[in-house]
Amino acid sequence: MLGPLQHIDFPMRRYRDTEEIDYLIVGCGSGGGVLLQRLARAGFKVVALEAGPFWDTERDWVSDESGSHKLYWEDLRITGGTDPLAFGANNSGKGVGGGSVHWAAFTPRFHPSDFEVYTRDGLGADWPFSYETLRPYYEQLELEMPVAGPAYFPWGHPHGYPYGPHPMGGVGNALIKGCTALGIPVSIGGPVAILSGSRADRPHCIYRGFCIQGCKVGAKASTLVTHVPDAIANGGEVREYSMAHRIELGRDGRVTGVHYFDRDGASWFQRAKAVIVAGYAIETPRLLLNSACPGHENGLANSSDTVGRYLMAQAGNVVLGRFDQPVRMYKAPPAHALTEEFYETDPRNDFARGFAIQTVGPLPIAFGKQMVSAKRAWGWGLRREMMDYNHWASFGLLGEILPWADNRVTLSEERDQFGIRAPHISFNLHDNDHRLIKAAKNKTMEVMQAAGATEVIQEARYAHLVGAARMGKDPRTSVVDKFGRTHDIANLFVCDGSILPTQGSANPGLTIQALAARTADYLIAQGDTVFNSNRRDMNEPPMSRELAPSDTWGHGVPRVK
Amino acid sequence: MTKKPKSSRRLPLDIDPSLLPCKAGSGEAILPSEQPGYYPGYSNLSQQAFWDKATRDLINDRVNNVPRIRHFSAESALFWRVVFEHVLPQSDRIPERRIPLVERLDERLHNKRGVGYRYEKMPPDREAYRLAEIAINEESQSRFNAHFIDLPHLQQDIVLQAIHDGKPSAAKAIWKQMSIGRFWLLLMQDAIEAYYAHPWAWDEIGFGGPAYPRAYTRLERGEPEPWEVEEQRYDWDAPRYSVSDSTESTHHLHTESRQNEFLPDESQ
Repeated sequence: MLGPLQHIDFPMRRYRDTEEIDYLIVGCGSGGGVLLQRLARAGFKVVALEAGPFWDTERDWVSDESGSHKLYWEDLRITGGTDPLAFGANNSGKGVGGGSVHWAAFTPRFHPSDFEVYTRDGLGADWPFSYETLRPYYEQLELEMPVAGPAYFPWGHPHGYPYGPHPMGGVGNALIKGCTALGIPVSIGGPVAILSGSRADRPHCIYRGFCIQGCKVGAKASTLVTHVPDAIANGGEVREYSMAHRIELGRDGRVTGVHYFDRDGASWFQRAKAVIVAGYAIETPRLLLNSACPGHENGLANSSDTVGRYLMAQAGNVVLGRFDQPVRMYKAPPAHALTEEFYETDPRNDFARGFAIQTVGPLPIAFGKQMVSAKRAWGWGLRREMMDYNHWASFGLLGEILPWADNRVTLSEERDQFGIRAPHISFNLHDNDHRLIKAAKNKTMEVMQAAGATEVIQEARYAHLVGAARMGKDPRTSVVDKFGRTHDIANLFVCDGSILPTQGSANPGLTIQALAARTADYLIAQGDTVFNSNRRDMNEPPMSRELAPSDTWGHGVPRVK
Repeated sequence: MTKKPKSSRRLPLDIDPSLLPCKAGSGEAILPSEQPGYYPGYSNLSQQAFWDKATRDLINDRVNNVPRIRHFSAESALFWRVVFEHVLPQSDRIPERRIPLVERLDERLHNKRGVGYRYEKMPPDREAYRLAEIAINEESQSRFNAHFIDLPHLQQDIVLQAIHDGKPSAAKAIWKQMSIGRFWLLLMQDAIEAYYAHPWAWDEIGFGGPAYPRAYTRLERGEPEPWEVEEQRYDWDAPRYSVSDSTESTHHLHTESRQNEFLPDESQ
């Protein structure tokens, strides 16, 4: 059962391990979920291995912060560097739907400039294609999720949203007030992949505020509700509690399948003609590194020594403002208004690239931790601050941190509960990052003050994860080509946030799903070629809109202009 | 508006009034009550008929079933119980309405449940708490020549303040292998995860709690839903024998490690 109205009431196909399937996808999250759906509809034999459970949302999910830990990837990871990242609830999902189960569902597109950062700024990297290549997939996925937002969104490539914006909560009102007082344009009521009105078998949002604890309502888009049901109806298989730990390489230099552990720790091997790794920015490089074998001592697809490198997180500093009047920020989706006015490189700044300012809505436990960091509150001071919870509003800045080679996933000597070597992550801010974060933090505090807050404080943190298996034209400096195919192995692909060369100041979820739909079109256009040839066709595939899930394309759905 | 929270009529004999919050300015102790905070009469649990079953079962289990201590020794459990009385004090609550904290930490450590990452400057959580108990006792010895547990309340507060400030005077060897800032954050997170997961704490701070399938409908201007209540503020001072009621904004520290690890802010 997926929400109060959604059911999967058809049997799921189950392939035998000994059967050689067409595509084996590792990870059923944002990228894997969309791929599974497209490839199943196109008639391929396709299985997604998912380390976590297949959720029964009515039974498994709760309206509770502390009861939602099972949604997060909480296996052992070692975090270090000068600026160590937090994982788990902060940015790592587990279970079918992956990160799209616990995202806030903010879905801004990347700007055209994001695809050519190196050309424009001499820093970071260029993408192997332009915004225009991805634009039709943005438009398509905005319908499939679908995305609610304003009819006119002015930044990047200006566009509108086909589904209506959400009403404002107290935090959104504060952002509008602060931005307006300073003459900063602001986007109201989205873009956010949460239904503002019911559609097909999914109900509308009820503004309960527990978006990042999993949407029991079914109003927030996750691939669990948007793509996986259609995948299963079309013969795709999701194999839950299946933790991949090694990709097998055949003597011909092509991969032959994936070894995985089931929930009891028994090891299995699923044969496949091609493998797509979609485990996100930590687990994807970890699996490639753990798959080292003779001839590939540094890990699979790592002849460039780039696997694990150029990991990115965005600066996610939260600015909190106290207002004399109550705000009650637990109501409404955390994500419901933003400004991208400071997104682009501004020559007047002492740094390249920029940032966005978005609404966030921490619930009490998250807010308490913020008071510890932002005010050094403890004891009676903490009790006192918490009693004022209803008077605070909070904005999250989203600041672009550039890709650096030393921000890196490697293998630790420590092992997880399966005995698999755990990842070690090293993260270090560089000069441009420091200057950008300081400016972004100060501007966000200025907006909060302009909104009328009588006290403004700040908690430093990071948001999202991308990179660590980046795509590029040059096999010496990137892991995969522009379609996600590894430069080294013709039937091994990566398709998730880890292939992003840069990240902009936009939440990555929409871009990850758009990239997955494009890679799916490529694989479908290639037909059997991927399975029996090492030929690398670099032509852009035609778009197959008709492979969208039922009720998301065609009659009865708004048209893209 | 000043309104006193509903109080039990008489001060229990085992409570020292200098450990209780006071009416602002007057120094008169506010007697322990069922529900401190500015939302008298507000009750999340009274709304549970409107919650979904999974949430209702989970919250009721949290309220009614307190796990027994399985990881800590009796001595360590008592030690951390006393520490929690300082980092998240509850002397303003009547004993039957205090929220169990050390039991939740013990349960987490017993099950070896992490949060999905460990700082390379930190040992595993069980070891972190073992080392910190030693370090806090050494700090107590160094400052006041006694074990932490044997110190008067105010001196215990002062010992913990030194850990909070990242300025220990003892146990340098332990704090060299374990980041004092990261440990403090871990301790506070465990305290907050236990206290603010409890519906009595939600009542105290006026948090609306679970709202599926019923929904929130009054999104603007901070207005209460029909089942929520308006805020009724009162002014209060922290207990005389405490040092924890002061805060300090760290907004000038723009990175997470500078805020929480006491790293020098070279950029200032």
